[in-house]
Amino acid sequence: MLSLKKIVLVGHFGVGKSSLIRRFVKNSFSDDYLVTVGVHIVKKTVQINNDEITLIIWDIEGKEDMQKLRPSFLLGTSGFIYVFDATRESTYINLSDEINYIETHYPKINLLTVANKIDLIEKNTFIKIAENNKLKIDYFSSAKTGENVELIFNDLAKNLIK
Amino acid sequence: MTDAEKLTLLRDLLLDEDRNFANKILEKVDTLTDTVNIDEKLSQKVEPIISRKLTSFVEEIPVKLGPTITEALSEQIKNSQDEVVNILFPLLGKMIKKYIQSEMKTLSDNINAQINQKLSFKYWYRKIMSFFSGVSEIDFVLADMAKSKILQLFIIEKGSGLIIARYSNTDTIDEDLLAGMLTAIKSFVEDAFIKGDQNLELIEYELYKIYLQNFPTYYISAVISGKFDAVFKNRVENDLFDFANKHIKKNIGNKQYIEQKLKEYFINA
Repeated sequence: MLSLKKIVLVGHFGVGKSSLIRRFVKNSFSDDYLVTVGVHIVKKTVQINNDEITLIIWDIEGKEDMQKLRPSFLLGTSGFIYVFDATRESTYINLSDEINYIETHYPKINLLTVANKIDLIEKNTFIKIAENNKLKIDYFSSAKTGENVELIFNDLAKNLIK
Repeated sequence: MTDAEKLTLLRDLLLDEDRNFANKILEKVDTLTDTVNIDEKLSQKVEPIISRKLTSFVEEIPVKLGPTITEALSEQIKNSQDEVVNILFPLLGKMIKKYIQSEMKTLSDNINAQINQKLSFKYWYRKIMSFFSGVSEIDFVLADMAKSKILQLFIIEKGSGLIIARYSNTDTIDEDLLAGMLTAIKSFVEDAFIKGDQNLELIEYELYKIYLQNFPTYYISAVISGKFDAVFKNRVENDLFDFANKHIKKNIGNKQYIEQKLKEYFINA
């Protein structure tokens, strides 16, 4: 069975949303930072058991506050991936509030939280920081090394067909 | 040991270090002389330096001289507009002529192809019309070619931008991405004009128009070529409403059925 699902990556600017998508779709990475203006849409089909699921991935421009996002870009979404930069505290200091906002306004939508750029920081140190700040983190990833990138999107796809 | 021998021994002892130093200098002078006088050795030393300098010079030219050259050229063009026109006119003229020739050939080929389709109903219709009206056959063909045509139709879910069904008689870029981007553009424009429930209806793209017809949970996007006037818009609008009422309303999840009906309904549109 083939199905189409829209997923949206959200989070502050410069946290690596576009890089994660590029790693997942094209298996490539670039250190050059290109800010996303508006929205960029790509797609990739993944095989989950006997099902094929085409993910239409919306890479929207980063905002410091979920409430500032254009709501129309989030309509009809089946899954969110909230990405933050493990090396920049400002991108995860309000993580709990941001997650609360998503869960309140989009209660039936799958949500995964991802600490990206984990290659640039000592993982155990960051885990302690996360525990101290009570951060809910589903995955640690690195678009640069590719760590966990496939896993994140595949797990989200699995959740979408449950 | 004689005095002379003692003196020699003393001199050897005192001047040994200086002599060694002098010998080393002599050796270095010999090496340098060789390097300077033997072409191969000299080129080994000098070539990498020249190469580095040249590379850096080439890299620096656009940065250091670019603005000056641009400014000088701009000034020169400004001061000698007639000369520039005289130089460019034949080139531009040739380019335009070539383009027009190519377009005329395409048009002529299309007209010939249509006129030569003797078995078609249109051929005989044109012949008869031309005979009775006195209007030439070619004029009928030209009028036919300028007619508006629906090239592609996409039924797209509002919000998500996912395709519900599609009809297309031409190849295009990835339709899922096209539908997503159309939805994003539509959402952006509609968000920008927040006064009232207004919808984006038309996107113009050079020779094509993308007409958007809104429905409560989806919208239909029609890619149209040719003249898009009020009469054609009205016809498309009526056709889309009629199609939505007959075929989409009760079959919203049945992609195969809707696509089959789209094909039947719009193939001659």
